[in-house]
Amino acid sequence: MTAKKLGLKQRYAHMTRGLDWETTYQPMDKVFPYDTFEGIKIRDWSQWEDPFRLTMDAYWKFQAEKERKLYAVLDAFAQNNGQTNLSDGRYVNVVKLFLTGISPEEYQAHRGFAFAGRHLRGVGPRVAAQMQSLDELRHVQTQIHTISHYNKYFDGIGEFPHMHDRVWYLSVPKSFFDDARTAGPFEYMIAIGFAFEYLLTNLLFVPFMSGAAYNGDMSTVTFGFSAQSDESRHMTLGIEVIKFLLEQHPDNLPIVQKWVDKWFWRGHRMLGLVAMMMDYMLPKKVMSWKEAWDIYFTEAGGSLFQDLARYGLKVPKYADVATAEAEHISHQNWAVFYQYTHAAAFHTWMPDKEHLDWLSEKYPNTFDKYYRPRWEMWAQMEKDGKRFYNMALPQLCNTCQIPMAYTEPGDPTTIAFRESRFNGDTYHFCSDGCKDIFDGEPEKFAQSWLPVHQIFQGACGGPTVPDVLNWYRLNNGADNLDYVGSPDEKLWNQWMAGAVKAAG
Amino acid sequence: MSARQLTIEPTGETIPVAEGQTILDACLRAGLYLPHACGHGLCGTCKTQVIDGEIDHGAASPFALMDFEREDGFVLACTATLTSDATIEADMEDDSDARRIPVRDFVGLVEAIDYLTHDVKGVRLAIEGAPIDFQAGQYVNVTLPGVDGARAFSIANAPSDSTHVELQIRRVPGGAATGYIHDRLKLGDRVSFSGPSGRFLVRKSRGGPLLFLAGGTGVSSPRAMILDLIEGGCEEAITLVHGVRAQADLYGRAEFEALAAAHPNFRYVPALSNEPDGSDWPGERGFVHDVARRVCGGMFAGHTAYLCGPPPMIEACIAALMQGRLFEKHIFTERFLTASDCSERPKSPLFRKL
Repeated sequence: MTAKKLGLKQRYAHMTRGLDWETTYQPMDKVFPYDTFEGIKIRDWSQWEDPFRLTMDAYWKFQAEKERKLYAVLDAFAQNNGQTNLSDGRYVNVVKLFLTGISPEEYQAHRGFAFAGRHLRGVGPRVAAQMQSLDELRHVQTQIHTISHYNKYFDGIGEFPHMHDRVWYLSVPKSFFDDARTAGPFEYMIAIGFAFEYLLTNLLFVPFMSGAAYNGDMSTVTFGFSAQSDESRHMTLGIEVIKFLLEQHPDNLPIVQKWVDKWFWRGHRMLGLVAMMMDYMLPKKVMSWKEAWDIYFTEAGGSLFQDLARYGLKVPKYADVATAEAEHISHQNWAVFYQYTHAAAFHTWMPDKEHLDWLSEKYPNTFDKYYRPRWEMWAQMEKDGKRFYNMALPQLCNTCQIPMAYTEPGDPTTIAFRESRFNGDTYHFCSDGCKDIFDGEPEKFAQSWLPVHQIFQGACGGPTVPDVLNWYRLNNGADNLDYVGSPDEKLWNQWMAGAVKAAG
Repeated sequence: MSARQLTIEPTGETIPVAEGQTILDACLRAGLYLPHACGHGLCGTCKTQVIDGEIDHGAASPFALMDFEREDGFVLACTATLTSDATIEADMEDDSDARRIPVRDFVGLVEAIDYLTHDVKGVRLAIEGAPIDFQAGQYVNVTLPGVDGARAFSIANAPSDSTHVELQIRRVPGGAATGYIHDRLKLGDRVSFSGPSGRFLVRKSRGGPLLFLAGGTGVSSPRAMILDLIEGGCEEAITLVHGVRAQADLYGRAEFEALAAAHPNFRYVPALSNEPDGSDWPGERGFVHDVARRVCGGMFAGHTAYLCGPPPMIEACIAALMQGRLFEKHIFTERFLTASDCSERPKSPLFRKL
């Protein structure tokens, strides 16, 4: 009689047996010093269901093959001058925003998962976090390689790692990940593994990847396909983490709820950059931010939180506010970047008539009433030679680090201001969500590195705009200002004229 | 178009797959859970190995399913269709309590029809020919003259009586099959059915106390399971909460009370959700999940729960169990769906089978 064939799960259990040995030279609590202080209680790590059952040798084989494919496409794109087949030269600004704003966060995610993988004492999450850490490292590398081709032709990309640590709006994603990485390993897993990689990831990657596809950026599309086979693993890990914590001990529920509330709101604020990209920066539009929010948060998130309610977990606090803000956030962000275009490493522009009509159609409740008149006025000022620049440094929210330009819930003509007192100082916030986060951990957020404060304190190269731009390594007159009149535009127009000539 | 047969290892189950139907779709429709996420060939979560047979990969992304994997026989279940009968090895729970019993066709002679309540009939079929082998909790698919398609009904008797199948059938208003059984079926008729089917079984290997939560005729499977457990000398604590609307809807009470009297490890709790106030009903009032919470003190950890009944009852019970710290791994369900239940709410990937 032959032995009964093992199922995949049992086979994996045999292949990975003993990985979770008990240490003897040092007590386990000393080897894993960070997995208790957050208050999370784990009764039995062995209850963790490893949903992947992927061994490292299979991982390497698989990823190597995937990357061979990706680089073949990138080579072909470069050889065929794929950049000349984009929908418009403006599109490259989306790529710039991605490389400066998102790619460094892939690296931060790599570091964060490496930390979580080291400090969680359960073997299942440890292996999963290790693999995700490697995924994130591969992603930042492949993104840099993908986008390096654009760096041969377009401005604003070359100094992205340096800019990430210094430029005012890049402190928004940077501080988001700094916050997650300086938390304990469980908060990190909820913040990045669950809230970011599961709840909000579709709102980040789908817009960029579909935007790339619609606008002829086949290299970024290919990167997206390559990454998507990792993302599903990341999403599954996020789901496993939250289930595991909620099932292990009833005391975990209020802690997890607080983290879900916090990281939902922080994620929502950071995604404002994506909202602006979708509604304003894509020459060929995919869908509006509002539509993306309805599909990926309201519907998909709705069914998720309906299921999580069985554990007693509630919809994140201020989810209703975030949904209401989906009518406004892209417009308010674009207004900020338009006013401060001299200090940004990508180009801005006022939408043309066709684009304005599209926005009116997509935002029937808000656009014509609150935003279109402002855009038309600014366009007129441009025409009259009075292009509006805001030369005053803005007040920043102490939590999300975004300029305080957001409006009161239900009142889009009044800027929202919130404040808290801590140790004799006053701290300012853009919203109740950001204020709550500060009030929950004031000792942490009182240390925020706020770009505007740093300029005023003389820490950013000098007191004038050129001084600060120099310190940012932002090439004044090329990387910044409007698309119209930029070296990017000049080059693009040359290519198009050449193409017309060649075709004629 | 003829359906092809798909065999799924390690369980050995065989299901039909229609022309153009994906492996994933066929499995999910047959009640077999395969891990999946994107549903259109991009993420690779549903990667499955084909051991035998020919398939078409469909729109599987070259990044989600590499060439070397294709050569090794891997497919993405969400895009792959069959071009011949096939066998796959799927990432499914190997369930040591489930036996592999081939499905067969049977003919049963209607030996008894009991009027259990005003709208529930008990039908006892004597099997002609070889007896039926089944596990308590499984169901049969009954074909009735003039009714399109088969209807699933749980077997209410213990497997020890292998020459009979007892079914408890509530009249679904406007239902063709249940209408036929209530209005036209008579003693001496012959009924065709096939079975046994389903994976709603007692997980005897788990040990520990058992909790059965049943709504209406959903008590038929638990009856078979409990009779089987007690015949087998089970000494674990067994609790049955059977919820119906009012006294007029309650049946099986005398039998369960006698069983509880004879076996101290069995507790029987009938619960009425819509009994008029001030009636002579001495027992529990309220919905099944509320009564279960009350009789178990709100804590379910350590139990294994078996839920059988209409979807809203199951949903409410799952929430109560989870709030009482009993989770997916220890909860088994059999949903009684009628044609009107087809539009289920959208699901997140949080739970596999609940």
